[in-house]
Amino acid sequence: MSTAAVAVRAPAHETGSYLEHGRGVRSWLFTLDHKRIGIMYLVAISACLLLGGVFALVLRMHLWSPQGALVSNDAYNKLFTLHGAVMIFLFIIPGIPAALGNFVLPLQLGAKDLAFPRVNLLSFWLFVAGAIFFLVVLVVGGVDTGWTLYPPYSLESARGLGILLALSAVVLTGFSSILTGVNFIATIHRMRPPGMGWFDMPLFLWALYATGVIQIISTPVLGITAAMGFLERIFHLGLFMPEYGGDPILFQHFFWFYSHPAVYIMILPAMGVVSEVVSVFSRKPIFGYRFIAVSSMAIAIIGFLVWGHHMFVSGQSRWASLAFSFLTMLVSIPSAIKTFNWIATMYKGAIVLKTPMVYVLTFFAIFGVGGLTGLFLGLLATDVPLHDTYFVVAHFHFVMVGAVMIAFLAGLHYWWPKMTGRMYHEGVGVASAWLVFLGFNLTFVPQFLAGVLGMPRRYATYAPQFTAHNRLSTVGAFVLALGLVVALAGLLHSLRRGRRAPPNPWGAASLEWTIASPPTHHNFDETPRARGPYDYSGLHEVSEDAGWVREEGR
Amino acid sequence: MTELPNRILHLLAGAGPGYLPARASSVAEGVDQVFLLLFWVSAFFLALIILLTIVFVLRYRRRATRLHPEPSPAHSTRLELLWSVIPLALVMALFVMSTRTWIQMTSADPGGDPVRVQVTGRKWSWWFDHPSGKGANELHVVAGRPVELILSATDVIHSLYVPEFRLKQDAVPGRFTRLTFTPTVPGSYPILCAEYCGTDHSRMLSTVVVHADQASFDAWSKEGLPADATLADLGKQVFAEKGCAACHSVDGTRSVGPSVRGLWKRHEKLADGTTALVDEEYLRESLVKPGAKVVAGYPNIMPPMPLEERELKAVAAYLETLAAEGGAPAKGEETKR
Ligand code: HEM
Ligand SMILES: [Cu+2]
Repeated sequence: MSTAAVAVRAPAHETGSYLEHGRGVRSWLFTLDHKRIGIMYLVAISACLLLGGVFALVLRMHLWSPQGALVSNDAYNKLFTLHGAVMIFLFIIPGIPAALGNFVLPLQLGAKDLAFPRVNLLSFWLFVAGAIFFLVVLVVGGVDTGWTLYPPYSLESARGLGILLALSAVVLTGFSSILTGVNFIATIHRMRPPGMGWFDMPLFLWALYATGVIQIISTPVLGITAAMGFLERIFHLGLFMPEYGGDPILFQHFFWFYSHPAVYIMILPAMGVVSEVVSVFSRKPIFGYRFIAVSSMAIAIIGFLVWGHHMFVSGQSRWASLAFSFLTMLVSIPSAIKTFNWIATMYKGAIVLKTPMVYVLTFFAIFGVGGLTGLFLGLLATDVPLHDTYFVVAHFHFVMVGAVMIAFLAGLHYWWPKMTGRMYHEGVGVASAWLVFLGFNLTFVPQFLAGVLGMPRRYATYAPQFTAHNRLSTVGAFVLALGLVVALAGLLHSLRRGRRAPPNPWGAASLEWTIASPPTHHNFDETPRARGPYDYSGLHEVSEDAGWVREEGR
Repeated sequence: MTELPNRILHLLAGAGPGYLPARASSVAEGVDQVFLLLFWVSAFFLALIILLTIVFVLRYRRRATRLHPEPSPAHSTRLELLWSVIPLALVMALFVMSTRTWIQMTSADPGGDPVRVQVTGRKWSWWFDHPSGKGANELHVVAGRPVELILSATDVIHSLYVPEFRLKQDAVPGRFTRLTFTPTVPGSYPILCAEYCGTDHSRMLSTVVVHADQASFDAWSKEGLPADATLADLGKQVFAEKGCAACHSVDGTRSVGPSVRGLWKRHEKLADGTTALVDEEYLRESLVKPGAKVVAGYPNIMPPMPLEERELKAVAAYLETLAAEGGAPAKGEETKR
């Protein structure tokens, strides 16, 4: 009976998977297949994560002793700039949407590809070109301004040109980001299958949609800011530099008008992944679907109005600070409610503790800390002492590394069988999740404490009273790195040795799990009819190897 | 390494002040109250999230005897409203509390008779011009006496941060920012730079010395300084040397431009019908871009007179002495005599 059921699910005419469709390097580099582009993104951003991670470990080793154990102050400053810039612009912003989103979005829509496959390829190559340019400039130019690039420091004559080149490289990757956003939005609008209204979409699609909106609106501001930097530097227009009559605070407004929403470009897709995983592995429809969907959009919109909470001590007007603080309190609410929805989803479920779910469980705790510590920085009274201290460093690592990177790992393990046709090793996967969780907390919890006691960030040397904090943090960083290496090794190992993946190894209900793993080049032979993305009725597990199938006669 | 676990225990045991840095300014206590309240609210919600997660995982794990979920609603408007409204009410309450404290922290008028110190940040040290004319790379203040810092920077942005005061303020080139506070506990506290400013950012350290009383402060102030050299004296010299006196009298006489007597902290009537408070920012603007705010009744003819930061501050100090000598600025003073 089981074999018969599986045979029904196998592609009607076996043309081989998308991985075998066309051979050779060229068939990858010039492919228009969203799945291959997704995989190429995955490789590119993973390489950036590793690179940024190596910089992080060097930073942490340097901070082993108060006077700095390893490099000069200048070298330290360049390293944290490299680390921050690579992690932000080349890993965490493109991470989930470009790599996982590209692969999954058309599949969840039952579509053959994105709306504009050529634009998608262009977007990938823009990213690669921008990334290479960026890395070259950062390394050769020895940029030491931090990723925030505040003038006057960043535009001083000695370093202005390197910065401008780096900024133009960021604009290239920014274009890539805009094109991806446009493509996702168009695809979601035009290519939903029959039977899938807006409120029948998987929540990952809602998250990608909201992300696309932010990408399109906020990223151009980054380009404009870079252009203004150019003009200022070359023609001395008096925009940002006081010596020409400009105002450095103006730059901060522009910068955060992009960079605060950028945080939501990171976290919304992560929330999308969590919504999928928690439902599938609790075997229950997500609790309060509509609220989660609508709150993604609410976060996207209110998220544009809070940038000034990065500038409470900059000297901006007090009324502005007051308004930004208030709006920041408001934007925290949708995220809080989402968390309760996820947890309520597990209530009375049948919870399966596979790797993606273990990652998501750790996400709950870490995202909780990241979100709650955000309140300390959104409130005026507490932000004044905490601003630009290690409290902030810990907070944003909790959000970006703890929440986003962990959700990325959850999503990667979740869709891995679909991407590669192979099952990763569960034991290794779960071990990696725990190592990441432990290492992560050991790294960043002491930083909260150091920050409260008054250790400012971007310090190459520090007062001896912070030695213990920093040493724990350094040890933690290596445990975290070990966790990542274990995860990577497990995934790579599965490419050759992993069990063959059935079409639906998890018993999920969204459309990507109704086709073969890995999918054929065309994904779907004909447009499928959608049913509820969280409707698990009728699904039952045939065996480990055959996965889950829907009972006939449904 | 034993200190850290101790501190964590302190924090968890609610012995907040035992963990937090010493409180040495009048606002520190208020800040800590918001901090500790938020800390406990957060700890509660975090514990709730973790606890529910653990309980649900243990209780509702899928096993051979429990393959399927039990029926339960897929949404509940009542529940969702409840967990929207309670957090909302909480963060709004916190917002109100924090804002109240913050208004004190940033109040334009610190009350009392504030000592105004001009602060200049530069790579990589701080410079403090005390009203006595004594310049130093440390800040000296008196316990219980309100202080008003006027900050600027000569090269890039710096940020003056005193953890024990729970205060921080950026010093921005081309602008004046201010920080007001009242130190409460005599002692020395570190001043750190909290805005990244290049190579020696982490070594841009200084000290604020809080003197127990005025006498101790005066003793420091007199150390090795010609008795007569005040910041205001420097300002008087600049005022004469730069040619300001050609158009502005110091005794109230109407000249080509308004007299500067009694000008300081006055609300000046402008040609466009608005008024402007005469302070450092106004002074800077009037010197760099004299046409931006023209005083009612005078022609817009003043040339830009960019001064160095120090000179500007000195002139400000000088103008202030003129206000003091003249008493309350008399109405229509320009027509006197
Ligand atoms: C093993 C994991 C990591 C460790 C140990 C680590 C450590 C550090 C350290 C020591 C700094 C310097 C902090 C300062 O002086 O202000 C830093 C800064 C930063 N990190 Fe990480 N980090 C890790 C992963 C990440 C990831 C995954 C991201 C983002 C996706 C990230 C984003 C940043 C950013 C944006 C900065 C600020 C750079 C700047 O100040 O210009 N980090 N990190
Ligand atoms: Cu500095």
